[in-house]
Amino acid sequence: MKLKLNINNKFYNTNIDGDESLLDILRKIGFKSVKKGCDTGTCGVCSVLIDGKPTLSCQFLAARAKDVKITTVEGLGKQADEIVDLIVSEGADQCGYCGPSLVLTTYAMKKELKNPTVEKINHYLTGNLCRCSGYEGQLRGIKKYMGVK
Amino acid sequence: MRFDKFVQPKNLKTALEILKKDPKSVILGGTTFLRISDKNYSTGIDLSALGLKYIKEVGDQIEIGAYTSLRTLETDPIINKYFGKLVPKSLENLIGVQFRNNATIGGAIFGRLGFTEIITALLVLDCELEFEENGLVPFSEFISNWKIKRDILKKIIIKKNKGKCSYKMMRNSSSDFTILSVAVSNFDKIRIAVGTRPAIATLSIKAAQLINSDKNKIEEAANLIAEEFKFGKDLRAEGKYRKMIAPVLVKRALQEVLK
Repeated sequence: MKLKLNINNKFYNTNIDGDESLLDILRKIGFKSVKKGCDTGTCGVCSVLIDGKPTLSCQFLAARAKDVKITTVEGLGKQADEIVDLIVSEGADQCGYCGPSLVLTTYAMKKELKNPTVEKINHYLTGNLCRCSGYEGQLRGIKKYMGVK
Repeated sequence: MRFDKFVQPKNLKTALEILKKDPKSVILGGTTFLRISDKNYSTGIDLSALGLKYIKEVGDQIEIGAYTSLRTLETDPIINKYFGKLVPKSLENLIGVQFRNNATIGGAIFGRLGFTEIITALLVLDCELEFEENGLVPFSEFISNWKIKRDILKKIIIKKNKGKCSYKMMRNSSSDFTILSVAVSNFDKIRIAVGTRPAIATLSIKAAQLINSDKNKIEEAANLIAEEFKFGKDLRAEGKYRKMIAPVLVKRALQEVLK
C-alpha cells in the first residue's frame, strides 16, 4: 500500500506492507538514527516522537502513521545538540547506539514533566536501555538539561 | 504477528462484520505484539481513527475509550483523582513511557493475559465493558470466562465509588513484568484481587468474606490468600515464592485501606 509520511516536517512517499513496523520503514527511507535493537519493544533504541510523544517505532504500524507527525533526532536540530553537548561534557557517550532515542526521549520529557526531580527523570527514562555507560554520566548531563540538581 | 491485509473500516458496524465474516481476522490494539507473536492473520482491522481515544466523566462514572493509551490513562487528571491513584499505580512500571504511549487499554484487557496489572486493579472497582455486539458486560465476568472472543471492545466504564484502594506488586526489576500483583478496595465492602500468579487476576472469595465479617482479621485474611489461590511458576518466579509473597502484599494493602 502507498503511504505518505510526515517526517521532521517533510513529506515522504513510500510503499509498505500492512504489517510493517514504522521502524523498518524509517530505516528504509534513510533515517538510520532510528536504531533496530531488540525489535520486541524492550530496549527503547527505536524510539521516535509521534505527535511529540516518545513511542517505540518497532511496535508502531507504519500503516497507522499516515496522519501523524513523526520526529526523529535529525528533526530536533539544535535542540538535540544542546542535549548531546551536555551528555558528552559528562563523558557519558560511549558506543552511541542508544544516543538518538535517549536524546528524543529527554526532549519529550522536558516538555512533559512539570516539576522534574531525579526520581521522575529516572522513571521517565526507564525504557531507554544503555549497555555500556552505566547511566550515571548520561544522567548528570540530563539533569543539567532538566535544571535539576 | 503477520497479516496479509490492513483495513481501516469507517465505522464499528463494518469492523464487526469483517471480524465475524473472517475467522482469521484480528482487531489491532496497540500492536505491542507486532514482533513478539508469530501468529498469522488474514486481515488486521485498525480502529484507531474511530474516535475511541478518550477519558471522560459522565455522571457518576468514568468512561474510557478502548484505544486510549496506557500512558494517557496513567497521567490523566480524572483517572488520578479517583481510587487513590490505583489505576496509574498499576500502569506506571510497565516497560517504559515509549511502550505505554503505544499500548492501548482495550488491547491490555481483551488479551486477558496473566501479567496484565491493570486487570488486577480494575477487578476491585465497579467496572463494566461495552462491546459492539454483546453490549454491557461486567468486567469480572469478561475476565473469568472466555465466552466473548469475536467482538469489539468499545469502552470501559468505571463507577466513581468513594472509598480507599491500594495496589501492591512485586517485580524482579523496575520495568519488568510483575511476579505478583494485588489490588484491594474498600467501598461498600472489601474486595481483594490477586494477579500474575502467573495466571490472570482473580477476585478472592474466602479471604474477602473473612475480612468483611471482621475488619480486625487482617493477618488471618492475608494468610488465607495463600491457601485460596493456586500459585504457579514461570521464568520470573517459583510458585512457592509467589505463595509466600502473596499474604505479605495482601496484608499491606488491607492495612492501607482499613487505616
